[in-house]
Amino acid sequence: MNLLIIFIGAALINNFVLSQFLGICPFVGVSKKVDSAFSMGMATTFVMVIAAMVTWLVYNFILVPFNLQILEYVAFILVIASLVQFVEMFIRKVSKPLYDALGIFLPLITTNCAILGLALNSVLKEYNFSETLIYGVGAGIGFTLALVIMAGIREELELVNVPKSFQGAAITMIIAGSLALAFMGFAGLI
Amino acid sequence: MKEKTAIQEFVKGIWDENPVLVQLLGLCPTLAVTVSAENGLAMGLAATFVLLSSSFLVSMFRKVIPGQVRIAAYIVIIATFVTIADRFLAAFAPDISKSLGPFIPLIIVNCMILGRQEAFSSKNGIWRSLMDALGMGLGFTLTLLVLSSIREILGSGTWFGMNIMGESFSPWGVMILPPGAFFALGCLIAGANWINSRRKA
Amino acid sequence: MNNTAKIIIVLTLITVISGAVLAVLDGYTKPRIDAYKNKVMNEAIHEVLPQNVKVKTIKKTVKENGEELEYVFYEAKKNDQIVAYAFQVAGGGFQSELVIMVSVTPDFSEIINAKILAQVETPGLGTKIENDPSNKDNPTWFIDQFKGLKINPEITYVKNAKPSGNTEIQAITGATISSAAIVRILNTEIKKAKTVLDK
Repeated sequence: MNLLIIFIGAALINNFVLSQFLGICPFVGVSKKVDSAFSMGMATTFVMVIAAMVTWLVYNFILVPFNLQILEYVAFILVIASLVQFVEMFIRKVSKPLYDALGIFLPLITTNCAILGLALNSVLKEYNFSETLIYGVGAGIGFTLALVIMAGIREELELVNVPKSFQGAAITMIIAGSLALAFMGFAGLI
Repeated sequence: MKEKTAIQEFVKGIWDENPVLVQLLGLCPTLAVTVSAENGLAMGLAATFVLLSSSFLVSMFRKVIPGQVRIAAYIVIIATFVTIADRFLAAFAPDISKSLGPFIPLIIVNCMILGRQEAFSSKNGIWRSLMDALGMGLGFTLTLLVLSSIREILGSGTWFGMNIMGESFSPWGVMILPPGAFFALGCLIAGANWINSRRKA
Repeated sequence: MNNTAKIIIVLTLITVISGAVLAVLDGYTKPRIDAYKNKVMNEAIHEVLPQNVKVKTIKKTVKENGEELEYVFYEAKKNDQIVAYAFQVAGGGFQSELVIMVSVTPDFSEIINAKILAQVETPGLGTKIENDPSNKDNPTWFIDQFKGLKINPEITYVKNAKPSGNTEIQAITGATISSAAIVRILNTEIKKAKTVLDK
């Protein structure tokens, strides 16, 4: 039950993008088409979940026992950077079309604050392993959801006259604001 | 292309290549911490410190760091300085540290910082790199200051904690909530676009 | 120099220097940070306890869900009589962890005082549990309701009405979840603390 609350919390109520402001760069950059948004979301979720698990292990089995918490940031970002490298090589081997579709955005997952934010949050909330895992899944799904909804709206926007100054990032921000407002309605869910 | 002078490297970061409004980098902390002018200023200064220190080291050792591992090297350097900034804030300004919370460590993945190392410090001398870093940092800080001032004045009626809107003003709570952040930034970016298009005309 | 060797050497050097710098940083800043945390804790303890008491720290370790947890109680004595126990409780609020310092009578039947130590609830709404600027006479009216509140059988809350009975408080309009969280946390954690202390 507790795990369900963590999941819904991460995915909807405290949505990583629309409520916690994590993962905004890919949110603005990759949300033009629903397909690429979904792929990006899934790739990020994949990295998020593994990153959550590995950083948890590193923190609890290496940093804490040796009193090295001061190295938390350095260790976590190195883990994430390496993970993204591996995922990139893995996807390139397994599915070249997918690799081409994601293009530059794969390495950019490294600087996706959502992943580092996820790792740091799990430590802060003192989650155990399974809680961290579910938190990662929930966060990733929420991220994908926000991305896909935004892409759907932006696809529609292509057919409309957006004032010149607002084209691009500005109108995306305004839409994100409306989405954030809507997501605030999830507050009473649990 | 004519090489820029050091001063021009500095100035470009403030407007023409403003990291937030033009390059769209560092959006996460921009949206998250700008609920009050004090927080916006603190984040801007912290990020500038990290940017300056990292650019200094990266530029100094640019000929020594092998290309294949440069990203890893930059990241370790950046993460180290962020830890320093984080610990210093926690030790000497605990209230600010608490309100900036998790966004100080997120400076590590602020694309602006890694971006400048990759695009500039790794290819330029120390003095020019410092100028570039200073300009970007200043542009970032000023943008945060403007955005957080708007949000604080409209959302709480105060500026740097001082009540400036008077008793009868009923604050627009939404401005200090996520939707307000998005709306305000969207308008700022649109405003910058508009000003730039008038300049080019 | 061989390229791979160069890579390894440079990376190792950077990491080692980084580690060394951070170790020095840790040694320099940790005492200050810990001292600050203790200061905040001590202030909170004395704020919720009655005046002029002698405070003694009692630590109890309990096994919960396979983990060993440490509970810390601050026993307050006046004229050699125990007058109160203070301890910290925490739980999930609407969107953040709520940390409360609470003091109770020695039989754990009544709350003497409570102070919110940490919360990051919705600004302007949930944050009212700690500070409500719209109530100019008493911005801390919400948490003040808990002074002298009876705990058994359980604390309850009402919305948009005055509380009835000495175990009830009024929730904040528009911040029901945050208010309910405080009530829930105090209900469960005070009872739990009593069983731990009695062991």
